[in-house]
Amino acid sequence: MSNRNDSVPHFWLHLFLVFMVLVTVYPILWVLTVAFSGQQALMFVDLPPDPSVLDRVRAVVPWPAQVSVQNFVDVFSQQPFGRWLLNSALVAAATTVMGVFLATTAGYAFSRFRFPGRRAGMMSFLISQMFPGTLTLVPLYIIIVQWLHLGSNYLGLILLYSTTAIPFCVWMLKGYFDTIPRELEESALMDGASPAVIFWKIILPLSKPAVAVTALFSFMTAWNEFILALTIMDQESMYTAPVGLRFFVGGFAEQQWGYFAAGSIVAALPVMALFLFLQRFLISGLTAGAVKG
Amino acid sequence: MTKPVFWLATLAVAVVLVPTVAMAEIELVVWHAYRGKEKAAFESVVEVFNQDHVDDVRVKTLAVPYDAYADKITAAVPRGKGPDVFIFAQDRLGGWVEAGRTMEPIDFYLYEEITDDFIPSTLEAMQYQGNTYGLPMNFKVVTMIYNTDMVASPPQTSTELIEVAKLHTNEAGGKFGLAYSYSDFYYHSALMNAFGGGVFQGSRDPVLNSFENVQSLELMMQWFDVDKVMPAEPSSSLITMLFNQGDAAIVFSGPWFLSEISESIPYALATLPTVDEAGGAPMQPWMTVEGAYIAAPSQNKDHAFDFVLYLTGPAAGKTMALEGRQTPANLRVYDDPEVAGDVQLSAFRAQVEHAVPMPNFAEMTMVWSPATTAMNSIVRKASSPQAALDQAQKDVEERVKSLRK
Amino acid sequence: MRDASVGRTVAGLITALVIGIGLMSLILGEARRTMTRSATEQNAVVTAAAAADVLARVRDDGGDLQAMTVALAAALPDLEQLRVIDASRRQLAASTHAADLEAGDFPQRLKREQKGWFDQAKELEAAHSTNVMEGKARKDEVLLRAVAADRLEVVLPLFDEDQVTGSVQAVTVAVLPADASGGLPGWIPVLAAALLLLGLLRLLPGGWPRFAAGLVVTAVALYLHASLGADTLTNTRLVGEQSVADHALDVSSALRGRPDVDADDLAVTRWNIDRFRVGRATFDDAGLVAVGRVEDGFDRDRGRFRQGAFVLSLLAVVFYYWVATGWARRTGTALVKHRSAYGFVVPAMIGMILLVFFPFFYGVLLSFFNKTLYNVNQPLYDLWVGFDNYVSIIADTGVVRTAEDGSRSINFQNFYWTLGFTILWTVSNVFIGTTLGLTLALILNVKELRFKPFYRIILILPWAVPNYITALIWKGMFHKQFGVINQVIQIGGGEPISWFDAWYTSFFAVLMTNGWLSFPFMMVIALGALQSIPNDLYEAARVDGAGRVQAFRFVTLPSLKPALVPAVILSVVWTFNMFNIIYLVSQGEPAGATEILITDAYKIAFEQYRYSYAAAYSVVIFLILMVYGIWQNKVTKATEGI
Repeated sequence: MSNRNDSVPHFWLHLFLVFMVLVTVYPILWVLTVAFSGQQALMFVDLPPDPSVLDRVRAVVPWPAQVSVQNFVDVFSQQPFGRWLLNSALVAAATTVMGVFLATTAGYAFSRFRFPGRRAGMMSFLISQMFPGTLTLVPLYIIIVQWLHLGSNYLGLILLYSTTAIPFCVWMLKGYFDTIPRELEESALMDGASPAVIFWKIILPLSKPAVAVTALFSFMTAWNEFILALTIMDQESMYTAPVGLRFFVGGFAEQQWGYFAAGSIVAALPVMALFLFLQRFLISGLTAGAVKG
Repeated sequence: MTKPVFWLATLAVAVVLVPTVAMAEIELVVWHAYRGKEKAAFESVVEVFNQDHVDDVRVKTLAVPYDAYADKITAAVPRGKGPDVFIFAQDRLGGWVEAGRTMEPIDFYLYEEITDDFIPSTLEAMQYQGNTYGLPMNFKVVTMIYNTDMVASPPQTSTELIEVAKLHTNEAGGKFGLAYSYSDFYYHSALMNAFGGGVFQGSRDPVLNSFENVQSLELMMQWFDVDKVMPAEPSSSLITMLFNQGDAAIVFSGPWFLSEISESIPYALATLPTVDEAGGAPMQPWMTVEGAYIAAPSQNKDHAFDFVLYLTGPAAGKTMALEGRQTPANLRVYDDPEVAGDVQLSAFRAQVEHAVPMPNFAEMTMVWSPATTAMNSIVRKASSPQAALDQAQKDVEERVKSLRK
Repeated sequence: MRDASVGRTVAGLITALVIGIGLMSLILGEARRTMTRSATEQNAVVTAAAAADVLARVRDDGGDLQAMTVALAAALPDLEQLRVIDASRRQLAASTHAADLEAGDFPQRLKREQKGWFDQAKELEAAHSTNVMEGKARKDEVLLRAVAADRLEVVLPLFDEDQVTGSVQAVTVAVLPADASGGLPGWIPVLAAALLLLGLLRLLPGGWPRFAAGLVVTAVALYLHASLGADTLTNTRLVGEQSVADHALDVSSALRGRPDVDADDLAVTRWNIDRFRVGRATFDDAGLVAVGRVEDGFDRDRGRFRQGAFVLSLLAVVFYYWVATGWARRTGTALVKHRSAYGFVVPAMIGMILLVFFPFFYGVLLSFFNKTLYNVNQPLYDLWVGFDNYVSIIADTGVVRTAEDGSRSINFQNFYWTLGFTILWTVSNVFIGTTLGLTLALILNVKELRFKPFYRIILILPWAVPNYITALIWKGMFHKQFGVINQVIQIGGGEPISWFDAWYTSFFAVLMTNGWLSFPFMMVIALGALQSIPNDLYEAARVDGAGRVQAFRFVTLPSLKPALVPAVILSVVWTFNMFNIIYLVSQGEPAGATEILITDAYKIAFEQYRYSYAAAYSVVIFLILMVYGIWQNKVTKATEGI
């Protein structure tokens, strides 16, 4: 791995990282404050009349007036939030598998084969991201629900999310595959291996970092989506977690920001867990170079 | 019990149960966007209906988060994939009628015995181009909510209001006598209507820059900028926080606000004051009315109407009023002593006498953006009320024209 | 072009003619069927209108409505059944239907299962009042449907003064116009001529001349076919109109002389109405067809046919080129030769075509029409506006607005301001996201740096927590009186800032929010990409005496490129269309200055209900991004292999 930064003292790197951590964490601490306040209000600073500097300093520190886990309890007890999380997990996991599968195969073809339509195909994947999605809700509804009869079905969502994630994943993987030396495959070809075998046995194991990134991306695409999930699902037991979260706010009714914050924290946990799991691929010593050497 | 006997018994029970289940042949699907207490009350009301109709109808509810509820209806209902009945505020009604295959007209079912039971303005909100498309369930209207520790008796006039508000304002300390989303056009409607202003007239021609509208905005700016009794950037979360910390004495808000008030704050409700500057006319907020509509592609319209009638009737209304804390549109609900004795419900009931149903035609949605822009630039003092409204009027006229092209 | 052998040229010619003439015949046939159908429908409308006229008069005179209903059904040759609904009294006022007669005397109270009739009458009432109110014809005041293969039902409003109080439902037997076809079908001489010309090809040398000759033959054949087709259309139209005029006279004479019918009511032009009940004036009271008038009304239809024919001709020419140049054959060979490569791509492509490209083409198609909420149920081909939507987007050049007092200000609603702001927003966001993400990834890739797992997991948080709430927390932090940021400024002794009052402070607020939300993504990408750099490259660089900066420039950056370039391109695309943050945080404040194109498009579609205009807006966004994508691709050669 890179040695180039060895001459920068770690102290300065830590200083920068700690600063970034503070910036990153501060708004999230406010989310936590709302979640653990036991109240429903979105937080603003609370100042006494004619505040002193000290009052202001105290006011900008995110901390609830009293700590309570009531919001978390209510989120799970007053609606089937656990079920919704499970649905989300199912859809997101399936999207990840499907998205990564479709993207690795396509990415591999774009990287390794020279065939007519290759550039056009790649550009069409890129271009597909450029058309704004504001007007596509009704056409997508027609395709999924009326044509494919996948209303209120996990598969409908999985298909939608996979295709949303594919273009980025294909490009990402194609770029990574390009960096893997061809000599490895050529020697395998000599040994009589088919393209499919080379792909599964040689290329994929070498591409773990890129697959990890695309897996995380596919997962996130499915995990946070809200409008399609809501439009397609016609049973409460089929809703996903982001749909469930939106129950707490919006419209002319009381705004349950406490529940929303608590639910958001809970929804972030699986993402963190997935990242913890995937990050060993992001920093693994198993690089193309290592194998090559 | 030995095993075979147990299985036989199970079989017997199943044989007995199956026919009763099979008899409830008609299933009505109902969509709504209720949550919390409102949802619980709504579901219990539906449960009662199901109990009464064990033999013929079974109503199934689906709660949909408000933020994309309208989109879901727009996508699903015209394609016959939607519910039999859905509940929504009147603001999208006109648009859905124009779009077609969404709203079922129900005038055929209506007779005076039915319509006389409803507060007239709420029923009016359900009508578009001379046809009625739903029955009103609940209305939501802004009223005056005040902290009884700070304000002993509610102000009756705008002059009194500002006097009281000034007593409780300390800008440096973040304390304000009056807090409401004054820069939000929806909340401003109360003042606008007091002056006799409005957004459309006649054949739905926009009249945003009318003299009355300008006057109403000048008064609002007087309160905000000269009397300085209101906070800046008044988002609804901010107002909730101020009131809950005892930093706002009087708030103009609707029923949704009440459940956000913390237990430590003693409060009461009163009708919005009259406006001395408008010749003593009362403030008249825009009212939203939640209607129960039958979906045009429904296969069970007659049953759906019976359900709508039940839902908007006195029994269901009472449950939703007392348990869901909603304000029913059915007058007969208020004959009930328990409802009549409820100070909050009576306060909203009193306010509705001075309320105007928000326009339900599609052109209304074109007003919000230009009006919000105007409101913000007025509050920011970037332009005068007249200039800002002139611009808004121009924008809305242009939009209406291109829709009707 | 050198490949243009006789065989291929002929194959190309035949493909082109089969496709061009075949499809053209299809639309021609469809157009003729439509014309015949509308003449048939017009005949039914004439009958119904005559009946409604007579019935309204009888009702006003207090006559026996039921007797007249029965008499009309007997007198008018094509009128089979008649029913009169009085919506204001919820009554079935008169009817000839057997089931209604069995149910008792008239008027009958409408039953629940007859709600549809009542609703129809109310629908006509609403349509009439809407058309009057808006001063134009938008809603149908004549309802028409086929109840059987040769039976049409027409529903017309029944007036009392100016009010619609009910409806007349008439079931008629279809009266078909005479068959207008005559002479040879247009394509036979064309095809014969084309085949004759084929002989000429042999005489021409290969390459360009032969290719061009084939092209000319294709074009001439298609042109001939199209103009012959247009003539048949005109003829069909006139024959249809004549049939309506004749039918109207038939109806009139069937009614003439009856004691209960007023002779004044028998002016046939009164019955010749379109679906908005506006007189069509295609013939006079003597039944003489006004050819000029018919042709005027027909111009648009013919224009539409011409446009269709033109598009089909282009398509045919494309096919000619494809086959004649041997490209088609090469495509076939490529498909076979590279089948494993295509096999790898096809699964992803199928999903993309169905769920991404199909909605995309729908959007592009929509942008050439004028579809709004108010005409959403009218047939799409009536709403064709060509490039009008695009022109009006691009022609919106008034960036600077001059007020009445002569002062100048920026018109923040202007397209070019919004475009400029969108570009600024995109560039600064992607710059911040990429720089920050890359820097953090490089630092987190330093060997032996401690606590790396901790930093990594914390720094990805903004991506993990749903951004709906974090965006609103950021908005709260920028609140003037109660926001954290102004408190910090005041702790430092500064004055609080109204963040959303000026476009640049508002921009700063959304930029901070989005920067915060987007750097973790770039960081993760860069972390993944860094793994592809073999260590020995650095070793080699060091041996060559490269310093840190040089190693970064010549080793790290080039190796990151394959992964980073697509990530940056896609970030640009996503940020350009980043709806949420603007919508939640700045809401376009002040005065729409911080709207981006996509929030505008959203408002056009969902607040102004101008679906086609919004689609055109989306296509403009798409084109801008595509130009960027092509440029970027050229600069970085991202689609090239290594």
